[in-house]
Amino acid sequence: MAKVRKVEWEIDHHFDPKTTRHYNNGTVTVLHCHHFITLYSQLADDAEMVDGKGLLCKAAELSFYEVLKSYFEKHGVTKLMERVALVEEYWKICGMGLLHFENVGEVSASAEMAHSHVDEGWIKKWGTRDKPVNFVGQGYLMAAMAAMYDLPMGSYKVNEVQSIVSGAETSKFAIVRA
Amino acid sequence: MAIDRKKIIDSLSKLQVQSDDDGLIPAFNVLVNQLPASFWNNFGELITKSVSADMLEAAQYLLYNAANSCGYNTGYGIITSEEWKAVVEPMVDGSPEDVLHGAFAVFTAWGWAKAEIVELVPEKKMVVRAYDYYESDIVELGASKIPSAYMIQGVCSAFMDLAYGKPYPDGNGTFQCEQVKGIECGDDYGEFVITPV
Repeated sequence: MAKVRKVEWEIDHHFDPKTTRHYNNGTVTVLHCHHFITLYSQLADDAEMVDGKGLLCKAAELSFYEVLKSYFEKHGVTKLMERVALVEEYWKICGMGLLHFENVGEVSASAEMAHSHVDEGWIKKWGTRDKPVNFVGQGYLMAAMAAMYDLPMGSYKVNEVQSIVSGAETSKFAIVRA
Repeated sequence: MAIDRKKIIDSLSKLQVQSDDDGLIPAFNVLVNQLPASFWNNFGELITKSVSADMLEAAQYLLYNAANSCGYNTGYGIITSEEWKAVVEPMVDGSPEDVLHGAFAVFTAWGWAKAEIVELVPEKKMVVRAYDYYESDIVELGASKIPSAYMIQGVCSAFMDLAYGKPYPDGNGTFQCEQVKGIECGDDYGEFVITPV
């Protein structure tokens, strides 16, 4: 069995008193709440004419791809298992839930969230609904897969096949090469 | 004791949030997230630049509304938190005006914007200036014609609701905000005028 060094996401936090901005590993980071993210998700869901859901996925993919890719490069993380562990851990650090990849391959992968900030925030604010709402999570997984395989953004599609917001115990995601 | 803005910012900017075993951050009466600021900017830009001209105002309002709801609920969580009681409450006399000045110091410490109140007429009007804010990062060269700090707009009016509206949670939506200047528009600072609806 291959040996895998234990990896932990290192956080270098810095507050710049001049600009009053917070930086985590050089990235401007900001605290917000579930009201903010669920209302963004609702706006995305309502904006069908411009594929609002796709735009919210894209917004997440654009941001997280850079964060993950630069972290892997800066810390010399090349092994897939280590990258997967870091992707799961960073999601948790963001307060976005508990992510676990069930299987990962370059062409397809399956991931599960035992807890989800977006879903549980949505339920807290409005209750359950029968369609997925975690477009941010889908975008994160698109970014994560592309970064893990050193591929460009847009290389993966994500389908949420089961959702906490709909009453399931966990959210599940099917990921495939675009 | 008067509000010591620098002391509040120094103290609360050191506050580090950590997720629990479920990967969630329950704090200030809400679930907190800490995401790259660019994520919020990206969606604001993608949605406002994708909708048709006749839908732009609605999209802008919904972005404002998201921040307004966040500001109202998280703002209430902040001014009733242990951190507030420990750091800010000893400096405030309990008046809504003092609470507002304290709240904008916290607003700054959280990295939402380097913002302060420059004019306050109780219950009637508040003017806020922001000298640095992540929402202005959408323009790196040139100037936008559209003031786009929807988060600051929404939170400013929410804070006025908390100060002068009906007691929480029934007082939201009694104030409105107009952004009259923006760094993203080429101004030296953002300026926000909050008045009753």
